[in-house]
Amino acid sequence: MDNLLEIRNLKVQFFLGSRTFAAVNGADLDIRGGETLVLAGESGSGKTVTALSITRMLPPNGAILEGRIRFNGEDVLAMDEESLRGVRGKEIAYIFQEPASYLNPVITVGDQIAEAVMLHQRKTKQEAGREAERLLGLVKIEDPRRVSLDYPHQLSGGMNQRAFIAMSLACRPRLLIADEPTTSLDVTIEAQILALLMELKAALGFSLLFITHNLSIAKRIADRVCVMYRGKVVETAATSELFTSPRHFHTKELIAAYEKIGRI
Amino acid sequence: MMKNKPLAAGLAVIGLFTLIALFAPLISPYDPSVIDQNHLLEAPSRAHPLGTDGLGRDLASRIMFGARISLSIGLIAVGIATALGLLFGSVAGFYGGALDGVIMRFADIMLCFPTFFLILAVVAFMESSIFNIMAIIGLTSWMGPSRLIRGEILSLKEREFIQAERAIGASNGRIIFKHLVPNAIGPVLVNATLGIAGAILLESGLSFLGLGVQPPTPSWGNILIESKSTLGVAWWITVFPGLAILLTILGFNFIAEGLKKVFGYN
Repeated sequence: MDNLLEIRNLKVQFFLGSRTFAAVNGADLDIRGGETLVLAGESGSGKTVTALSITRMLPPNGAILEGRIRFNGEDVLAMDEESLRGVRGKEIAYIFQEPASYLNPVITVGDQIAEAVMLHQRKTKQEAGREAERLLGLVKIEDPRRVSLDYPHQLSGGMNQRAFIAMSLACRPRLLIADEPTTSLDVTIEAQILALLMELKAALGFSLLFITHNLSIAKRIADRVCVMYRGKVVETAATSELFTSPRHFHTKELIAAYEKIGRI
Repeated sequence: MMKNKPLAAGLAVIGLFTLIALFAPLISPYDPSVIDQNHLLEAPSRAHPLGTDGLGRDLASRIMFGARISLSIGLIAVGIATALGLLFGSVAGFYGGALDGVIMRFADIMLCFPTFFLILAVVAFMESSIFNIMAIIGLTSWMGPSRLIRGEILSLKEREFIQAERAIGASNGRIIFKHLVPNAIGPVLVNATLGIAGAILLESGLSFLGLGVQPPTPSWGNILIESKSTLGVAWWITVFPGLAILLTILGFNFIAEGLKKVFGYN
């Protein structure tokens, strides 16, 4: 299988006043077409920074020092701002941890999804509005017509995350990057969102990069798992293999942590 | 709205003055520029509810027509200032760096001049038509709105939904004008409302000095200046236009106060 995304020796540095901090320190990562890859690791291990680097979405005080990122054969680090905008949303889309704060509070959910539709597709406002309603239906929101007229604060966390997923999938991206999308939700909603993501992935055929510190999610959804520790990818393995014979001590720690929670 | 007393009171006063201004030709009892030699400096009476001025013109009619001039100068001058403020402030706040430095230092330089004297200096070289007054007031009062909007944008652009917009491939222009500016509109509206009051006062001041709206066109400021010479014998020519200015400024200040409540800050 061909790699959709290849990251080699990625080094990302942050500038904090006069000090520098190496958030990612030589990470390697591959994502194959159509697979679900879980990127696991403790807080501060560089998972999110790696994910943001893929479309060069780092905050202004962060910089990619070294490395290579190839998406679909193209060098992401060599792209100009214009071509990057063509990749963001259209080829690679994100969903984030706090759905409510990632939606604009003064624009209705339907209009925000319609905006995402119109950014990369030639559609009139009306067509985009209908497409937004269809997408809301796709993410299993009941009564999409009514919800499309709601503002984010009128919806629950789970509903907002569904709406945000609808927005991310508006242009049928080939890679969806989910950065702890269920961490702020309660367990039953988490299960629903995970099931929804798996269903959408099967229907639309995108690859999924799922970031979490919770290995129980990896066990449920991942084809392969990458474990990050202190800015490096320390172990990559097929899911079943990772759980039966973990090699790196941090992997063992994460598995132990998850088994401990399982016993409670 | 019922619970928001300042907003209700402000809107009532300004609404009334707006209606008077809009329908002045229909509701004014006399033509505001017709001179009547037989009724000079008459005190308020049934025929002339607010009295007449030194040329026998009906004061009520002049104040009604003056409302058109004063209110439209307030609105348009502030419109110009706020539009410029939105443009400069949002661009400076969003891009930061050298562009921010240039725009904001230019604003600082403009702020160093006392606005009133800056306007006096400009008016000295230009014909003081209503349009020019609007433009001059607008072009010399964009600095406040710019600073305000820049501050709002600075904090808003760090919010997560802006990152989400970048993630779906939105351009900078779209992010600024579709997502940042609408979220900053609350304080801008409050500021603009106060600005209208300020602009009306400024126009009255200019007209009072004879550099604003030129007679015979009535504005509240130039009605006041004409009252100066007859203040001892005809109090009404000073009091009524003064009251009109006072009520309007108060009305706009009440609206601003009420809007602050609506947008939830003090």
